Amino acid sequence: MNRNSTNPTDGVSRRSVLAGAAAGLTLSTSGCIDSVESVVGQDVTDRLALSITTVPADNDREAVRIARHLEANLKAVGANVSIDMRSPSEFHETILINHDFDLYVGQHPGGIDPDFLYGALHSKYADERGWQNLFGFDESPSMSPPEVPSEGASEIPTVDELLEEQRRAGDGDTRKDVIADLLEKLVEMKPFDSICIPEEYRVARTDTFGAWNGDEGDGDDDGGAGHFPTRYGFLDLDPEPGVDQLRALITDTWPTRNLNPLSATIRDRGMILDLVYDSLLTERDGELESWLAKDVEWDDGSLHIELREECPFHDNEESEEDRYVTAEDVRFTYQFLQDTSLGNADVPSPAPRYRGRVSVIDDPDEDIVIKDFLREHSRKLRIDVTTNVESVAKRALTVPILPAHRWRSQVKSRSETDTASQGEWGLVTMSNIPPIGSGLFRFVSNSERESLTLERNDEHFTRDEDGLPDVGDLESVTFGIDPGGTAVDRVVNNSADVTASMLNAHALKNRLDDDEGGDITWLGPQQSETFYHVGFNTRTGAFSTPRARRLVSRLLDKAWIVDDVFGNHADPISVPLSDEWVPDELVWGDEDDEDPATPFFGSDGELDVDAAREAFANEFRYDDQGRLRL
Amino acid sequence: MLTELLTQVFVVVTIALLVSIAVFVGRERLLETKAAWRSRLRVSAPTIVTLLAVLVLNRIMRQQGEDISGKIGLHMTETFYRLEGEFVLIFQSIATDELTAYFSAIYVYGYTFMLVFPVIAYFALSDTRIFRRLLTAYSLNYVIGLVLYLLVIAYGPRNMMPEEVTVTMLYDNSPEYRHLTREVNSYDNVFPSLHTSLAATVAMFAYQTRSSYPKWFPVAIVLAVSVAISTMYLGIHWGIDVAAGLVLAVTCVALSTHLVDRWSLAELLEHAERRLDERGRDTE
Repeated sequence: MNRNSTNPTDGVSRRSVLAGAAAGLTLSTSGCIDSVESVVGQDVTDRLALSITTVPADNDREAVRIARHLEANLKAVGANVSIDMRSPSEFHETILINHDFDLYVGQHPGGIDPDFLYGALHSKYADERGWQNLFGFDESPSMSPPEVPSEGASEIPTVDELLEEQRRAGDGDTRKDVIADLLEKLVEMKPFDSICIPEEYRVARTDTFGAWNGDEGDGDDDGGAGHFPTRYGFLDLDPEPGVDQLRALITDTWPTRNLNPLSATIRDRGMILDLVYDSLLTERDGELESWLAKDVEWDDGSLHIELREECPFHDNEESEEDRYVTAEDVRFTYQFLQDTSLGNADVPSPAPRYRGRVSVIDDPDEDIVIKDFLREHSRKLRIDVTTNVESVAKRALTVPILPAHRWRSQVKSRSETDTASQGEWGLVTMSNIPPIGSGLFRFVSNSERESLTLERNDEHFTRDEDGLPDVGDLESVTFGIDPGGTAVDRVVNNSADVTASMLNAHALKNRLDDDEGGDITWLGPQQSETFYHVGFNTRTGAFSTPRARRLVSRLLDKAWIVDDVFGNHADPISVPLSDEWVPDELVWGDEDDEDPATPFFGSDGELDVDAAREAFANEFRYDDQGRLRL
Repeated sequence: MLTELLTQVFVVVTIALLVSIAVFVGRERLLETKAAWRSRLRVSAPTIVTLLAVLVLNRIMRQQGEDISGKIGLHMTETFYRLEGEFVLIFQSIATDELTAYFSAIYVYGYTFMLVFPVIAYFALSDTRIFRRLLTAYSLNYVIGLVLYLLVIAYGPRNMMPEEVTVTMLYDNSPEYRHLTREVNSYDNVFPSLHTSLAATVAMFAYQTRSSYPKWFPVAIVLAVSVAISTMYLGIHWGIDVAAGLVLAVTCVALSTHLVDRWSLAELLEHAERRLDERGRDTE
């Protein structure tokens, strides 16, 4: 479908357009002919030209610095490199929807279970848009010889096979072994290169809200970290008398413009969506707990779910049938996420978010069985899944439950005029404000690029359910925008209560140990699910082979990046998972402080150019001027 | 924080204005203005209204511009960077704490003062033409600048090479200013530098009116040069943006000479009335 959108010819033509414009500009200003020639000159055609897509420093200073480190080292080995800078929402559109990139540097949302790799890498998603396999990674291309495979070769499982196997391996050591194999395969194939897991820090005021950690009174000791970015971060906050509004800061403006739960381009990890929409289970300290589901029982391949009683959607529908969340809404949600056109398009159009999570449900029509179907508003259902790993199955229960009565009509009215192309059609890209969910908070107002206000949902089940924390006297939350640099100051100056998005490493610089003097507290460090990485577009000629991707990975000095760019507020990694899953061979080498799989050509951030060039010469071609060619 | 900062800018600029009015404009001109302000205002009304309309438009576009720009804009950051490379880092090599403080003050206070003072000074001149030309030039700067902002999406040096400009970067040294500039402009609007173009516009007017305000002329030149350098020194603009700002300034000043007094609203009205009369007579 979209496999060839970024082939080398396209890349060149796009650059030529830019270069042409640039030429006109230069001639009119400075007459700098030399540099124009080097931009539009003939050698562009087969010289290795790469562009690194990333976001501006105002949004993510660390990402830009990694991109520049990579740019400098690629230049040193003779490639023609440039940095393609995009605002966060455009960055996501470029890499997730248009696949118009060679390389990019950014943060991956990750996940609490290794199964997130299934959506991130499975070749069946290589043509889809969204976070699923945005690298276009496919191990079974025409390259592998079709002739009789030798017996030895057929025994080595592919990434796809390992991804599937870890879902069948059951809990425990078997699965761990499969994942170890998968990770080894991953560092060999390198569809992306994991760089580091940042430490999550946030800062909060203590004179407006008391218990930031939800640990007051209940003796719950979680090491001082808050529960952001999950729902629990907003519960049990204990406002001081007279305080009823939480002023939170977020880094991206997108939630102030669009709260479409299907949108792929949202930057935060769905924190605000999780406040507006409920899911069946919710995350707390890396574990999944009951939420909209009162009870979930795991029975070897089936999830038996009972919903809570009388959880109304925010739109206060008159009709009893549509007012409360029912098993029917749950089934609708999974059908809808599998095909946002609900069968009205020629081919299914899966939602560009949540793809990996819901993929354990093979066919929602058959595998979701509503029980007590004689009762009008059934709250019991059974979901049959294609895994025997409980944690994988339960991940499917973390998607937002959508009101069927609102979305069904939207699909109907839109699919009459629209072809519902996956990830791109109006329904999944439209600005869905006001959003209607059943969550802790309901939408009140927004001011584009400036703020978003939500108010407490008094009818939410946490209000009267015993044993559950709730939002208490907190009446509303206002999310303001701060791209990062000044967020800490705004909390110190009492113009905000908390930074709800994680602070970037630069904002922490020299501040963590300082006594700020104000009534503030640091939340963290918290183990993050996200990780910084370099993504390769394996659809492009330059990165179609694992050897080329591994070579580029070796231009990244992760130890130096963690130290210099992150001020050591991050852990270098060679694989995108943390400790327990990582086989010994891939654990970051503490002693030599280097990547066990793709060690850097050089040390302390300094590239050993000769060594790097020599290695590149085996994969690519150098011309007589020492420039890298395809 | 923003209110505090705005108050601070307001107080500083007001003091600077009072002093400059005393020094450059003088008592005599003020008295004259007091007597003639109504008629001057009446003659200048169309240009004033135009400028206000342009400023409102500018404000609206700050909100909506990014969406339009996203559809039609050309990404130029990589091109600018390829063309001029690390030219702006020259300023990093001469940086000192004093210079950083000076250029930060120039960028925020000096620039604001520089835009407001000529409006007052030229209103105090008996011939309103120069006043109307100045306002017209301001309007043109904003309008053309706005169009270019829609067409060109580019991020400044501080976004491209944060580490290299960190010594002097305005937002690292005085992060509070980010809120002020966020109110005024979106961070992907760097081409051209409106700071440079407006400051250069003022300097060119100062040159043309040096017989009326001989002492203002050198001050305006120093300020304008400082503003242009400050945008690069602080890591906000590329050299290309500043060059484009200068071109824009020359264009706007030249256009203002051509446009002002070409169409007098009063004459147009008279003309229209006459035409109506004639037509009325014809049909009789």
